[in-house]
Amino acid sequence: MILLDYHNRIIEDTLKARFNPENKPKPVDMSIVDFDGVSYHLSTLDDQDTKLNLSIRWKCWPELVQYGAMDVLKREYNQWIVTPESGYDFTLQFDLENIGADPEDVIHKVSLLKRNAMAAPFERAFDAQAMAEQEDHWDPTSSQLMTIHYRDGEAIYVQNQQDRVTVIFSTLFKEETDRVFAKVFLQEFVDARKKPHLQNAPQVIYSHREPPLEIRHVPGLLDSESMGYITFVLFPRNYAAGAVREETISRIQIFRDYLHYHIKCSKAYMHSRMRARVSDFLKVLNRAKPEIQASEKKLASGRAFRRA
Amino acid sequence: MSNTLRPYLNAVRQTLKAAMCLENFSSQVAERHNKPEVETGTSKEVLLNPVIISRNDKERVLIETSVNSLRVSIAIKQADEIERILAHKFTRFLTQRAESFVILRRKPIEGYDISFLITNSHAEQMYKHKLVDFIIQFMEEVDKEISEMKLSLNARARIVSESYLSQFN
Repeated sequence: MILLDYHNRIIEDTLKARFNPENKPKPVDMSIVDFDGVSYHLSTLDDQDTKLNLSIRWKCWPELVQYGAMDVLKREYNQWIVTPESGYDFTLQFDLENIGADPEDVIHKVSLLKRNAMAAPFERAFDAQAMAEQEDHWDPTSSQLMTIHYRDGEAIYVQNQQDRVTVIFSTLFKEETDRVFAKVFLQEFVDARKKPHLQNAPQVIYSHREPPLEIRHVPGLLDSESMGYITFVLFPRNYAAGAVREETISRIQIFRDYLHYHIKCSKAYMHSRMRARVSDFLKVLNRAKPEIQASEKKLASGRAFRRA
Repeated sequence: MSNTLRPYLNAVRQTLKAAMCLENFSSQVAERHNKPEVETGTSKEVLLNPVIISRNDKERVLIETSVNSLRVSIAIKQADEIERILAHKFTRFLTQRAESFVILRRKPIEGYDISFLITNSHAEQMYKHKLVDFIIQFMEEVDKEISEMKLSLNARARIVSESYLSQFN
C-alpha cells in the first residue's frame, strides 16, 4: 500500500452495514478518528434507531467556515445537514428508511466529509486565480493568504497568484530521525520532477527551518530545527475544472499524512532489519561456544547409565 | 571487499589474536576480588599498551589489553547524517541486548560507538579464534548493513515520491 486513501474507511464500512436494508437498524454509538486530529461521532437518536447522526469535530473548523466550507458542504450534503450536535462542529442526519439518494453514492460522499470540509480554501484559491488570469492588470495585493491551522503547530497556507496557486505545508518533525528521513524523502520529491514522465507534476520546494518568502511575514511561525516547509506550486493545468481538480485537492490534502506515514514505515522497516541482523550476530557469537557433547556413560556391566 | 578494508581487518585480526592471551588473575588491590583489570585500571603493571588501528579518520579500532581482560572498541564509519543516525540506532539496539551478547559492553568507550569486553573466563569458555572471527565479522557487516539500509531508504523515498507525483499526470 503505497498511496493512502482519501476517504475514511471506518465510516465507509459502518455506513455500508447500516444502509443495507437487510440489516435491522440497531442503536449505535461510535467515536471514530481520522488524520489530523479529526474526530467523528456516529450515533443513533435515543428513541429512533432509524435516525443516524454523524458529527465531526476539528479544531480548525472556524477557519474552514471562514474560507467558505459551508458552501461546499451544502453543495455536497444539503439534504442531510442538521444543527450541530453539542460538542461537535457539524452534523449530518440520515433516515435509514429514506436515505434520499443512491446509498453507494451517499456512503462515498459521507466518507469524504473531512476532505470536503478542507476543500473549501483550495476551491476558493483556484477560482480566484482563474478570475485573476483574465485581468490585464492584476493587483498583487488582492491575493489572499489562507491559513488553516489543522494540527497543533502545523498549518497549511494556500495563496492564489495571477498565474498559479501555492500551497505551503508547515510540518513538525518530533524526532531527529524523522527530520533526517524527511530530508531524504523530500529531496527525492524535488528531484523526481526532473524525470521526463513527471514533467506535469507540480513543482515541490522544500526548505528546512527557513519559512518560504510567501509566509515569512506571518506571525507566530515556530523557529526551530524541527520545522520543515514544503511548497507546492500548482498551475492551472493541475486543477482544470472537474475530476482533475477534485483529485488534486484530495491529493494535496493527504500529502502530509502520506509523507509521515512513509517515514514511519521506513523506521519500522529499519527496526525489523536490525532485529534480524542482531539475531544473526548472536548466532555467530554462539558458534564460539563449544558444544557440550553428551557422551553416554556406561556402567561396568556395559549397560547405559542415564542420570535422572 | 575493498582494497583498504582487507589489510585493516587483517591488522585487527592479528592484534586480537595476540591480545587474546589471557589468564586468571586476582586483584592485587582488594583481597578475594577478581576483576577485569582493563576496566579497573588499579594496577598499572598488569596493563599493556593500548593499540589503535585506524583505517581513516572516522573508522578505527582501539584494543586495550591487560593480564586478564581485553577491551575492543570500534568506531563505525559515519559519513553523513543518515549514517550517523543508523549507526547510533544499530549500536543502541545491540547494547540493549548485551545480556545475550556476553562479550558486549553496555556502554561504549568515549569516542567510540561500540565496545566489547572479553575476560579470561570468556576466553576459557569459548573458542578464542571464533571470538576473533566474531569481532571481525561484526566489523565487516556493520558497515555493509548501514550502507544497505541507507540505500533502501533512498530507494523507498524515490518510489514514494514518484508514485505520488505521477498521479498528477
